Amino acid sequence: MAAVLPDAADALARRRRVRNSAILFSLIAAAFYLGFIVMVLVRAAK
Amino acid sequence: MADAHVHDATHDDHDHKPHGWRRWVFATNHKDIGTMYLIFACTMFFIGGAMAMVIRLELFRPGMQWVDPQLFNSMTTMHALIMIFGAVMPAWTGLANWMIPMQVGAPDMALPRLNNFSFWILPFAFTLLLSSLFVPGGAPAGGWTMYPPLVLQNGASFPMLIFAIHMMGASSILGAINVVVTIMNMRAPGMTLLRMPLFVWTWLITAYLLIAVMPVLAGAVTMLLTDHFFGTTFFTAAGGGDPVMFQHIFWFFGHPEVYILILPAFGIVSEIIPTFSRKPLFGYEAMVYAVASIAFLSFIVWAHHMFTVGMPLAAQLFFMLSTMLIAVPTGVKVFNWTATMWKGSLSFEPPMLFALAFLFLFSIGGFSGLMLAIVPADYQYQDTYFVVAHFHYVLVPGAIFGIMAGVYYWLPKWVGKMYDQTLAKWHFWLSTIFVNVLFFPQHFLGLAGMPRRIPDYAVQFTDWNMVSSIGGFGFGLSQLLFPYIVWKCVRSGTPIGNRAWEGAHGLEWELPSPAPYHSWTEAPSDALIAKGAAH
Repeated sequence: MAAVLPDAADALARRRRVRNSAILFSLIAAAFYLGFIVMVLVRAAK
Repeated sequence: MADAHVHDATHDDHDHKPHGWRRWVFATNHKDIGTMYLIFACTMFFIGGAMAMVIRLELFRPGMQWVDPQLFNSMTTMHALIMIFGAVMPAWTGLANWMIPMQVGAPDMALPRLNNFSFWILPFAFTLLLSSLFVPGGAPAGGWTMYPPLVLQNGASFPMLIFAIHMMGASSILGAINVVVTIMNMRAPGMTLLRMPLFVWTWLITAYLLIAVMPVLAGAVTMLLTDHFFGTTFFTAAGGGDPVMFQHIFWFFGHPEVYILILPAFGIVSEIIPTFSRKPLFGYEAMVYAVASIAFLSFIVWAHHMFTVGMPLAAQLFFMLSTMLIAVPTGVKVFNWTATMWKGSLSFEPPMLFALAFLFLFSIGGFSGLMLAIVPADYQYQDTYFVVAHFHYVLVPGAIFGIMAGVYYWLPKWVGKMYDQTLAKWHFWLSTIFVNVLFFPQHFLGLAGMPRRIPDYAVQFTDWNMVSSIGGFGFGLSQLLFPYIVWKCVRSGTPIGNRAWEGAHGLEWELPSPAPYHSWTEAPSDALIAKGAAH
């Protein structure tokens, strides 16, 4: 994977970007999952 | 094998290719995982197809012949679930795994272990779902839409269905995250967003859709589960819940899901038509914006699936007009594909034949979709065979032909050999003729009032049902050619050079054939990227 990059610092930076964006999208998915359940609960409570 | 382990541990050799079962079970290579996805999808295609044969056999004549109504309903439900979640979606993920790193100049996917995990969830999910055929009460039979309260009446198969859906959803979300992260972070320097091939673009947008809507389906089925087992009443009217709310949530997932199934086909057709027209794609940027527009609009049209549940006039108008609006970016795409071919030097190899059939037949599905979008007309068509004809035109000559086109286009690159094109053309012509014999009469049946999801029907529907069933058997049998053609190619195809097709552009064609185990261990040059991105 690192072979595409010119040096190790860039490889490290990219690894960090990969990890952070994977976590971000996982959180977005979790928010959609919980958000819709909460929405139904809130709607039923009205 | 022990030596190989020592070698692995001490040298971290990226060119090392593992052997035996470990290569597949512990696979982290994008090509190996892509191959597993494609083989899995093909297997599910034939299992789901066998269920379609049972359906068409029962509907060949009026009256009850072969299966009881419960099993018939199980067949329709399982056929849909298997084809959507087991065949088409894994096939697209397989193609994404194979092609995205090769097309963006990356050595592999960004998250290879996650890639392995998201694949290996699937066999367990579908084993669970298929094993529900053998539990008391039979397999799920309430339709793939799982509407309560009907779905809550399922027997032992209900928790199996819900758990299987959760696993399929988790697999899709993980796969989608991997695709987005790969495309956003692993592109070679110089591979800007607007230099990316259309297949990569359409998959990027598809992955965003997946991340947004698969959790919504998961949330809906979790609520069904708690309604069934834990005494909640999310969707139970007797406890203050709202069954129609399930339909809203389901279709908030369900309509973007349709585009999840079809957008990558748009990408593949956008690669194939320029290649076999020997011209750059007409309106590359317009194509990207059209796909993005379609994806955005897919979030605001869901209630056109449920006009007949009753909704305010303003809501009906909104969902009718927003649905019709999708015809605009879709029209842009069809126009651009046609303009690409205009005055091109056309040739009709199997991928181009499948792409052209896609163009014509998907448009038929699009037009019947417009008819269904018209509220007063939809009141007539709702739950008839017209709807069945519509979505099968979108999904079979749409999504399935798109997958076939993609496999026939890139197979020579994958294995380094050309397949038997004469047999592939036979596959194309038989598929195209029989798919129309199968589904076109269903428009007539629907307009005449034949309801869907029934094992028996009034005698006046007999003739067109017989025709449709004959088309179904013909289509099903002709698909057996496909694995044979692939197998024959792998075993004894004619060796080819790097560029299998004369007019092909893109980074994947700059790699040797067959594609090396690790795609781009050194970043491709800017000149190579610019050459490949000759839109």
